[in-house]
Amino acid sequence: MNEMSAIPAAGPPRDAILPAPVERVLDNGLRVIAFSQRNLPLIAAQLIVGCGGAAEHEDEAGLSGLVAALLTQGTAQRSATELAAASDALGARLLAASGYDASIVSVSATTPAFPHAFALLDEVVRRPAFAPHEVDRVRTKSISDLALTYANPSAVARAVAHRVAYAGAPYGHPLSGTAATLETLTRERVAWFHERFYRPDDAVLVIGGDLSVDEAFALTDRVLGSWRAPAMPIGDRPHGAVPPPRTQAVIVDKPDAGRTALVAGRLAIERRSPDYYAATVATAVLSGYSGRLNQEIRVKRGLSYGAGASLTARRQRGTFFATTLVDHARAADAIGVVLATIRSLADAPATDDDLVTRKATVTGGFHRAIETVDGITGAVGEHVLYDVPIDEMQDYAHRIQAVDAESVRAFAARGLIPDAFIVLVGDASKFASEIARTHEDVRVIPFERLDLGSPSLTPAADLG
Amino acid sequence: MTALPTISASAIGVAPIRYVDRTLDNGLRAILVPDPRVPSVAINVAYRVGGKDDPLGRSGFAHLFEHLMFKGTSRTVAETMDRLTEDVGGYNNAFTSEDITNYYEVVPSNHLERLLWAEADRLASLTVNEANFATERDVVIGEYDQRILAEPYGMLDELVNREAYAVHPYRRGVIGSPAELNAASLDDVVAFHATYYRPDNALLIVAGDLDVDQTLRWIECWFGPIPTPSAPIPRVRVVEPAQTLERTYEYRAANVPLPAAEEAYHIPAASHPDAAALDVLESVLGAGRSSRLYTALVYQKQVATSAYAAADLREQPGLFGARVTCARGVELATARAALTEELERVCSDPPGENELARVRTQIASSLVRSRQTNTGVALELVRATTERGDPEVANGDLARYLAVTGDDVLRVARTYLRSENRTSIEYLPASTSAGQAQ
Repeated sequence: MNEMSAIPAAGPPRDAILPAPVERVLDNGLRVIAFSQRNLPLIAAQLIVGCGGAAEHEDEAGLSGLVAALLTQGTAQRSATELAAASDALGARLLAASGYDASIVSVSATTPAFPHAFALLDEVVRRPAFAPHEVDRVRTKSISDLALTYANPSAVARAVAHRVAYAGAPYGHPLSGTAATLETLTRERVAWFHERFYRPDDAVLVIGGDLSVDEAFALTDRVLGSWRAPAMPIGDRPHGAVPPPRTQAVIVDKPDAGRTALVAGRLAIERRSPDYYAATVATAVLSGYSGRLNQEIRVKRGLSYGAGASLTARRQRGTFFATTLVDHARAADAIGVVLATIRSLADAPATDDDLVTRKATVTGGFHRAIETVDGITGAVGEHVLYDVPIDEMQDYAHRIQAVDAESVRAFAARGLIPDAFIVLVGDASKFASEIARTHEDVRVIPFERLDLGSPSLTPAADLG
Repeated sequence: MTALPTISASAIGVAPIRYVDRTLDNGLRAILVPDPRVPSVAINVAYRVGGKDDPLGRSGFAHLFEHLMFKGTSRTVAETMDRLTEDVGGYNNAFTSEDITNYYEVVPSNHLERLLWAEADRLASLTVNEANFATERDVVIGEYDQRILAEPYGMLDELVNREAYAVHPYRRGVIGSPAELNAASLDDVVAFHATYYRPDNALLIVAGDLDVDQTLRWIECWFGPIPTPSAPIPRVRVVEPAQTLERTYEYRAANVPLPAAEEAYHIPAASHPDAAALDVLESVLGAGRSSRLYTALVYQKQVATSAYAAADLREQPGLFGARVTCARGVELATARAALTEELERVCSDPPGENELARVRTQIASSLVRSRQTNTGVALELVRATTERGDPEVANGDLARYLAVTGDDVLRVARTYLRSENRTSIEYLPASTSAGQAQ
């Protein structure tokens, strides 16, 4: 019946042809990285400001995100609507967002429109209005968006897992804030964050596409060359102590959740870590339809519609999460299967042959991402932000291909398997006692008491 | 506010898509677009069969058939396409429109021959049994329940087609009706495959990191031996008579958050010389926050939460639709009056140079952006070839848009946006009080 043997074999993997980025530093300290790729009349730029959510104080969680969201909501020259109309008329895309390590403003447009679109980027970065009514509107919207997150057990489980991994360290608080922290954020604090952290001496501009690198440097100098750093020093990068990984179980009791969301997680690696490529392949072995987690959870046992894993590498150590969503009554079984599947990376290591397709999922995704100038700009930006040599981007697929079975096994054995924590969000009455049989350190938190704004996950008064 | 300079879209120089166009002896047309930047390829196989070609009394059949093409063949099992793509870092899917059924995959380029094999295999040797036929029919009916019945405004597209066309099969839409889907049999499936899934009704497009000669050899090797039936392929020859009286239809449903309306006007086929001006008219009225409908209805008068226009150009004469969703507390009649005012205004007040420059820039920008990916290029050629008969027309599109003048827009607006050429659908909550509350 099955004659798939008739199918021709795949050929050897082929290489991408990536442009070679060139770096220059402007007099104001702004690093500019330019590349030329002239197949289509499009240019993209991405300004990476080296501070984001990690620079916020716990009590002001969500501040960097609010600042970024407000940049495109009006400037000294233009209202939010006028700005949208201007960007529209140029056929441009202008976006701003913050992460833990950086705030990023990006723009792209066709070649003749780009200089004007780039001037809009300059306008929103250097002269945002932070109009009080826009601050109120965006803050209110952010708070109501949180309600969506809290209604989704999988999103709650990931947010709790994040807090468990970092506790009170700089990455610990939720990037999108909490209703309580967002309420306290004022226009003054927004303006303060912007003035202090959006500065040329801690920023990188990546620009590329249909122009020469010299044209890119000249344009950047003309538009952003007059940008001056504020007098106040930027200060040290936030670097709080991250708690060492520790086996523990955190259960959020939410009896009205449709199903129980599970996370098995662990603090993982910095983006600059030499283990990055092995960790990426190890995660790929677990992920996707044919990945081990989905095979064990869905295909073999029918416990869930899907299961997968994700690795987030940052300036400091990031996280590894394995996730799935199951019936409450199967949650204890399922978390056992998830943990055993992660352990299988060491107990039943993948062979070099197994790894061929798993590595292809990684390189295939990377290659699709760099089809566009925005994609190349983003990939360059990620390397620059994390002080990874740009050469590594040129060599990304080869570095993934070079990961062998032994390095995946060895990394998993020391970096993913030991001291993993678990988080379950669902009807605790259906699984808490079973979890207590396999875990010594178990906390059960009623959903109503959950406070993602607190390193302990419950309001500070609870500790007393 | 600082004025922005007007960008001249004519300054945007887009190199033509360079492709190789071959037709095999069995009639299969293959178009290859080599681009070595990224080691990835997009494969599209478009069959010239869509909703309009559904057999009589079997509406929804082309779409149901699309689902069956994923159930395996005599040589493969179900989900083979997923394994051949997702497991190596790619993806695959398909869609059915009024005119075509298009299957596509994106994979690392060293996997190209495997996907050509798999596409040829399911063209040549699809096997469907009662069990998976019944299962997929239920899946499609579930899709109907979810997308058409449960989604707010889900029935609107279906109603527009059904009411605007009196005789042309476009009136049946693509998803069909559950009753007709339930009436379908396994024999219908076999007959449908034999009728439309044949090399001379297929267009194969591969874009990306490929070697032209080698790819042509692979295509010849895997698709070449598939025989072409001698029977002619049935084609829709029905011509919709010119509409002479305005049609209106009122529809009430549960789960209608706010009253909405669509006004649809008959327009010519995608290959007609007016098509470019109709696309420009769409952008003047309905693309983005600077468009006339958004500015007047949503921003200034605040009678609508959304308002837009779309030129739905098809292989055979299509529709130009303008759609409005009321702002909370606003009567549908008020919002429709504002919509009518803008549609009448564009018949007397054509876009000026600044407005045209904005629209040209938008159209050119979106065309250039979609050319960045192999899958964007492949789909553009699929549409050009199936809707307008020639891949080369894609290379003339930018120039055609740039040549559209304000007078052209005025002329097509006056030609097609006439009340006797209009079908209006009012989409209202089941109980009037519920939708108008607050």
